[in-house]
Amino acid sequence: MTPATPGVRRTVAVLFGGRSLEHDVSVVSGLQILHALDPAQFAPVPVYIDQQTRWWVGDDLWHTSAFKKGGPDRVRLTEVSLSTGFGTSKLLPVSGGSALSGVASLGRGVSREIAVDCFVPVLHGTFGEDGCVQGLLELGGCAYVGCGVLASSVGMNKRLTKVVAAHEGVTVVPWVSCERAVLERGAEWLTELPRKVGERLGWPVIVKPCNLGSSAGVSTATGPDELISAVLKVFEYDLEALIEPFITNRLEINVAVAGLDTPVASVTEMPVTSQSSILSFSEKYKKQGSKSVGTSEGMAGALRILDPEDLPAELRATAQAYAVTVFSALGCEGISRVDFLIDADTNTLYFNEINTLPGSLAFYLWSAAPYHWTITELLARLIDRAERLRATRRGLQRKPPPDLQLLS
Amino acid sequence: MSSFWPWMPLLALAVLYLSWRRTLAYLRYFQQEGYEHLRFLKWVNVRSLTDPAFWLSVVTALIAGRWAAAGAAVFMAGAIMLGYAQPDPRRSGKIPLRLTWRAARVLVVALGFEFTAWVLLTDLFADSDLQAPLLASALVLAAFPLLIVAANACLAPYERQTQRGYEAEAVQQIADVGPLVVGITGSYGKSSAKAMLAHILQFDAPTLAATGSINTLMGLTRHIREELVRGHRYMIVEMGAFKTGSIRRLCQLTPPSAGLITAVGDMHLERFGSTDEIVKAKSELAQAIPPGGWLVVNADSPGALRIARAATHCRVLLYGETSGEELAIRIEDIRFSKKGTSFTLRTKDRAYTCFTPVLGRPIVLNLAGAFTMATALGADPEIAVASMRTLKPVSNRLEVVEERGITWIRDAYNSNQFGFRAALEVAESLPVERRFLATPGCIELGSQQFDVNRALSREAAGICDNTLVVAETNREAFVAGHRDAGREARLVVVPNRTEAFRWIAEMAKEGDAVILENDLPDLYESGAGLFWRARRSAAAPGAAA
Repeated sequence: MTPATPGVRRTVAVLFGGRSLEHDVSVVSGLQILHALDPAQFAPVPVYIDQQTRWWVGDDLWHTSAFKKGGPDRVRLTEVSLSTGFGTSKLLPVSGGSALSGVASLGRGVSREIAVDCFVPVLHGTFGEDGCVQGLLELGGCAYVGCGVLASSVGMNKRLTKVVAAHEGVTVVPWVSCERAVLERGAEWLTELPRKVGERLGWPVIVKPCNLGSSAGVSTATGPDELISAVLKVFEYDLEALIEPFITNRLEINVAVAGLDTPVASVTEMPVTSQSSILSFSEKYKKQGSKSVGTSEGMAGALRILDPEDLPAELRATAQAYAVTVFSALGCEGISRVDFLIDADTNTLYFNEINTLPGSLAFYLWSAAPYHWTITELLARLIDRAERLRATRRGLQRKPPPDLQLLS
Repeated sequence: MSSFWPWMPLLALAVLYLSWRRTLAYLRYFQQEGYEHLRFLKWVNVRSLTDPAFWLSVVTALIAGRWAAAGAAVFMAGAIMLGYAQPDPRRSGKIPLRLTWRAARVLVVALGFEFTAWVLLTDLFADSDLQAPLLASALVLAAFPLLIVAANACLAPYERQTQRGYEAEAVQQIADVGPLVVGITGSYGKSSAKAMLAHILQFDAPTLAATGSINTLMGLTRHIREELVRGHRYMIVEMGAFKTGSIRRLCQLTPPSAGLITAVGDMHLERFGSTDEIVKAKSELAQAIPPGGWLVVNADSPGALRIARAATHCRVLLYGETSGEELAIRIEDIRFSKKGTSFTLRTKDRAYTCFTPVLGRPIVLNLAGAFTMATALGADPEIAVASMRTLKPVSNRLEVVEERGITWIRDAYNSNQFGFRAALEVAESLPVERRFLATPGCIELGSQQFDVNRALSREAAGICDNTLVVAETNREAFVAGHRDAGREARLVVVPNRTEAFRWIAEMAKEGDAVILENDLPDLYESGAGLFWRARRSAAAPGAAA
C-alpha cells in the first residue's frame, strides 16, 4: 500500500448511470461515492453513462440537480470513449460529436483526453454489474475496483450463482428455470411448466428474472395461470425466468463482504421491505436514526435494522460464513452484498443472491461495529488493491511462447 | 450620429440578447405546432404585442425623444432583466423545447433576420438619433413571430430535401429487414391499441413498436432509422391522420400487411370538416392492405364499420361489444375493480376469461382488437390471454395511482369524450369518499365543441363532488352543463393547471378520488411561460410525470 507521492493526486473515474433499470439508483450511488473519495489522495472524475451507453464528462455531473428532467444537458458535457489500447487507460473526447458541445467544452477545458489511474464502476444491473463494462476495462488494461468479468457475470445470473453456492455446501432454495426460448417451441410449455413446478416445488412460488438486480419483473403465483403470466412478465425483462417456492413466513438478512487481502464479512442487516411478509424483528429494533437509506436497490425509503439483536447467533455466524464462501467461490473483488432468506418456521438459512455492486457499495454496513470504517477509507483501500491487481494481471505472460510463434 | 459610440454597439448587444431569448420562447410553441405556419400564427395571434419587451421599446423610445442616453440606458437594463426573467423553454413547460438541429437552424436564421431587420429599420429612422434603434426594436419585437415563420419558410426547401433523404433511407431499411407491418389507425385508442398489440406480439416474435404516440411521417422515419434492425418480425405503426392523404403517405413509407381500425368518430372534426372526410382519411389504411391481408375493425364504431364494408379485397375480422354484426371476437361481461378489469372474449367456438390490471371500457375494446389481430397473425391465444394479466397501465391513460390515501385517476393524455366518459364510469364504480375532476374539456370538435363539453359537464356534475374547469377554452360550456344539472355550485373555475393543483392540494383528503382529464398542450394555456416564469412549479402529487 504505497500512496502516491504526496501532492500527486491519482485520477479516479467514477462510472455511473448505465443502460439499466437501476440507472437512477446508480446515479445516486455514484454521486455518493464521488463525494466520498479522499480529495487529498484522489482527483475524482464523474463519468456518466447514459441509457444509450454513451459516456459523458463535465462539471455538471457533480450535482444531483443536473439529472432531473431528462438527464444532464448534453450541450454542457463532453462525450468521451475509453481508449482500448492495452494499458493506455484514457478517456478520449469523441470527435465528430455535437459541434455545439465541442464549442461549449472549449471554454471548460475538457476537450482534452483524461488519463485515468483507476476506475470505480458504480453501475447497477445490466451492462455494468454483469461484466460488460468490466470486459471493456480489461481490454484497456485498466485498474478498476470490484469484481472482474467472470465474477460479475456469474454473480448476475441467479441460477448459476446457486449452482456454485450449492456446490460449496451452501444451502439454497430449490428452483425450476424457464428460458424465453420456450415461446418458440409451441404451446406445450403452458401445461408442462406448471406440472413441473407443482411436482418439484409446490405452490405458491416466486418468479423472478434470472439476470436482474432490482425487484422489477418479480411476482408470486399461486397456480398455473398466474405462473404463466408471471413468467411472461419476466420475459419482458430477461431471457430466463427463475421459479422458486415462496417461503410465506420468511425473513431477509444481508451481509456485505469486502475483498481485502482476505475477504471479511460485515455485520448483518435486515432490510425492512414490503416484500418481507413478516417483520418479527419488531419495531423496537428500529434504532433511532438507524441508517435510513432511501437509495438502496429496490427499497426506496426503506428502513434497515443493523445487526438485529434477536437473530440467533448461529444463524448470524452461518450467514457470515456463507457470504465469505460464496464471495470466494465466485472470485469476487471489491464489495459485494450477499442476501439470505430465513424460513422462520424451520429456522433454515438459505442463500438467495449476491449483488456484486450493491447500492451505495453497502458502506453503511462497514461504518458500524466492529470495523468502524468510513467509506472514504474503504475506497482508498479498494483502489490500492485494484491497482495492485492490475499490475499482477499485466505481469501475466501474453506473448506467444516459441512453440506458438507460428509466424516468425 | 454623435451618440453612435458607445450606445449603438451596446444597444445591438442588448437587442441580440433579447432576440435570442424570445426566439427560443416562440420556437417552443412553433415546434409544438409541427412548424406549421398558419397553426402557429393562429396561436400567436396578437401575443407579440403583449410582450413587455415590446412595450419597453415603445416607452424607452418616447423617453429617448427627450433624453436620449436615459432612454437607451433604461432599454438596456430592461432588456437584460426581461430576457433573464423569461423561463428557459428548454427546461420549462409540459413539453420543453428540444433544440434539435432543425430547431437550431430556424433559431439561427430567425436571429439573422431579426437583427438585419433591426439594423435596416434603425438606419431608416436614422434622423431621430437614439430613438431610431428603440423604435426599430419595438417593430422587430412585434414582428418576431412573422420573422420566425419567414426563417422557416426560407429553410423549407432544405428541410424537405433532408427529410426526403431520411425517408429514402427508412424505406430501404424496411425493404432490407422486411418486417410484417401492422398499421393502426382510428380517431382514438390507437396508441393504446398499439401498446397492447406490441405487448401480446412480443411473446410471439421480436416486435418493434414506437413508444408514446409517434404517428407522424417524421417521427416514424426517425424511429425506423434508429430502432429497426434485422431480426424484427413485426413492426407496429401508429398512423395518425392530420388530413386526407397523410395515412396514404405513411403507408408508402411502411407498407402495411395488416391493419387495425380502432374507431372512427368525430374527433378532429375541426381539421377535416366532415365525418365523411374522416372516414375517407382513415380508409386509406384499408386500401393500402394487399389482397388477402387482415383488416381488423371495431364493429361498435359505425364509421369504422363503413370502412370494413368497403374493403372487399381484405380478409376482414370484426370485434366489438354492442354491435349486432357477426363478430370474430365478442366482448362480454366487463367488470371493474380497483385492481383492474375482468371480461370474457368469445369466439365462435370458445370463450376466454380475461383479466387485466388496466382500467376502462375503451381499454377492453382495444385489447379485444389487439387480441383479434395477434391471433389472426398466428400468436397463441392462451399466451395472449396470459399476457393481458401483465399489462401495465400506460402512464396518464386512465391510470389509477394511490398516493397518501388519495386515489388519482390520471387520464391526462386522453382528449376525447369517449375516454372522458370511461374515466367517469371508472371513477363512479370505485369505492371512494368524494370525487374531484380537473379538466380543460375536449377540443378540436368543430361546431360540436360547445355541446359535447356541455354534455360532459352535465354528466360530471352527477358523478363528481366538484369539477374544476381549467383555462378558458371550454369554460362557458362547462358552466352551462353544470347549470343544466342544477349543480352550478359544484363547478370551480381556475385559470390554469397550477391553480387547479393548488385547489386540489388544499381540498382533497384521504379517501377521495381525483380525476385528471385531458391535459391540453401548453398551446391552450394562454401562452403560459412565454415571457415570464410561472410563479410556482406546477409539479403536484399525482401530476403528469
